[in-house]
Amino acid sequence: MLNYFPNTTVTHGMGNQFRPFAIQMVTKMGFQFSAMLIALLTIMLGSGAIASELESGLIQGILTRPIHRYQFILGKLGGLVLLACTYATLLFSSILVIGALFGLSTITSLTFSQILSGWLLYLLLPVAVLCVTIFGSVTLKAVPNGILMIFIYILGNVGGMVEMIGQYVNNNSVIGTGIFISLVSPFQTIYSTMERIMVPNSELAAGAMAGASLSGSGKPASIWMFLYIAIYMLGFVTLAIRKFSRKDIS
Amino acid sequence: MIIETHALTKKYGNKTACDQINLAVEAGQVYGFLGRNGAGKSTCIKMLTGLVFPTSGSGTVLGKPLGDVSARERMGYLPELFRYQDWMTGLDLLNFHAQLVKLKNKKDQIGRALKLVGLEGQEKYKVGSYSKGMQQRIGLACALLPNPQLIFLDEPTSALDPIGRKDVRDIIVALKKEGATVFLNSHLLSEVEAVCDSVTFIHKGTVVKSARMDELLMNKISLTIRVKGMTEDLLGTMHNQYQSLQILADGSLTATLKDYEEIPALAAKLISHGLTLYELTPHRETLETVFMQLVGEEGLSSQQS
Repeated sequence: MLNYFPNTTVTHGMGNQFRPFAIQMVTKMGFQFSAMLIALLTIMLGSGAIASELESGLIQGILTRPIHRYQFILGKLGGLVLLACTYATLLFSSILVIGALFGLSTITSLTFSQILSGWLLYLLLPVAVLCVTIFGSVTLKAVPNGILMIFIYILGNVGGMVEMIGQYVNNNSVIGTGIFISLVSPFQTIYSTMERIMVPNSELAAGAMAGASLSGSGKPASIWMFLYIAIYMLGFVTLAIRKFSRKDIS
Repeated sequence: MIIETHALTKKYGNKTACDQINLAVEAGQVYGFLGRNGAGKSTCIKMLTGLVFPTSGSGTVLGKPLGDVSARERMGYLPELFRYQDWMTGLDLLNFHAQLVKLKNKKDQIGRALKLVGLEGQEKYKVGSYSKGMQQRIGLACALLPNPQLIFLDEPTSALDPIGRKDVRDIIVALKKEGATVFLNSHLLSEVEAVCDSVTFIHKGTVVKSARMDELLMNKISLTIRVKGMTEDLLGTMHNQYQSLQILADGSLTATLKDYEEIPALAAKLISHGLTLYELTPHRETLETVFMQLVGEEGLSSQQS
């Protein structure tokens, strides 16, 4: 894309005019693709974390040891969070390094505060996905859980887009539907907030990309939305512990 | 009692896996738990180990209520479908379990367990590369690791060759000598007969018999009698005394006695009537015959009638 808008006079000034727009789109694509990758990898990691051990019977040797079931769930979740966060950090820093090497202004102009906030939100995405996936893992078998989680994740992307369309057409019921979907699957909200911090003032690029990637976001998420996300994550972990603590391991 | 249950019941929907199970296992004994496939043995063991929650009823294991986590510090369990982390080496697996039970002298205990199950020198290989028998042995090592007071063995020899089976029998006997209680579920009745002090038979989720092994097997003695000069009168007298008396095709007699002490009296009686005694052979009842009577086809038909 950057080749179409080179920083030269060959394009009669068009390159200079559209290059910042292209840089924003490339940066957004990098974050969007990597975020989707990390979410899918997290789902793959988490969907069978407990379900596969239940299916194989491997769990029997562990749960007859002097450990509480909540410790087992939290131990699994802790290990998976560490693994997913390590991988997410590697991806996040790779984007920054590659962007800096190519001299992308969106990356070179980032402040430390932006990077820190963006990184924490980038980490929040797989952690939130894991909280739901771990509940699915004690409830469903590995494959159905993985499929359901991918569906929920994609639903979040669609929710953001529905909200955005609602704002374009100024229709409150469409906006409401989009918000409701975002409450069911708040992952896109986390991602879009991260994107707004890492690539600010890029609404035009976001709008151009929304149609192509079937994802988008409405207004920036409020602090209340993040409070909801915290309760959402905690709720699913609590449900997972509750469900697992009463589960027969047969 | 190291294990005590009162009306322990487990239902899965409409299906009753265990129904009103009452168990009383004394400490320091090897306790056999027998029954046909699907009788509810494994479900019962899983309730005792805290893996499955009873629908109703109660019980204690090592003096603690069922499912109590602290009781598991002194408990070992070898599952029927043993499956372990195949990416770990045998040593890693034992170290992992040693950490789970917070073992203090890890190295010594791991060495002891490996020696007991005959896997010394094999601990550096991955569990996934082990044969089925070796995997069962490493599972047994895991169960023995915390030096348990109570050990549940669910089909511990299902994947073992005859030498392996003997090794496990020896381990069970050694555990008993050390004062541990072994709760053994096995379909190999000769194995159970050789090592168990007490036994419980379970059928369709219900306990049909619980007894000490010696009482169970010494209760009835089948006696083969081969004599010359038997009269109708004496045969009639004997029939009144031993109603199970039968005349076999080869002319020999069989009778079921309640006590070994009846044998000398019977011999004296036959000789006093002038009979020539060729054979008087007592046959001890085997666990297999008792098993067949209680839960086999014979048992089924008698229970249905």
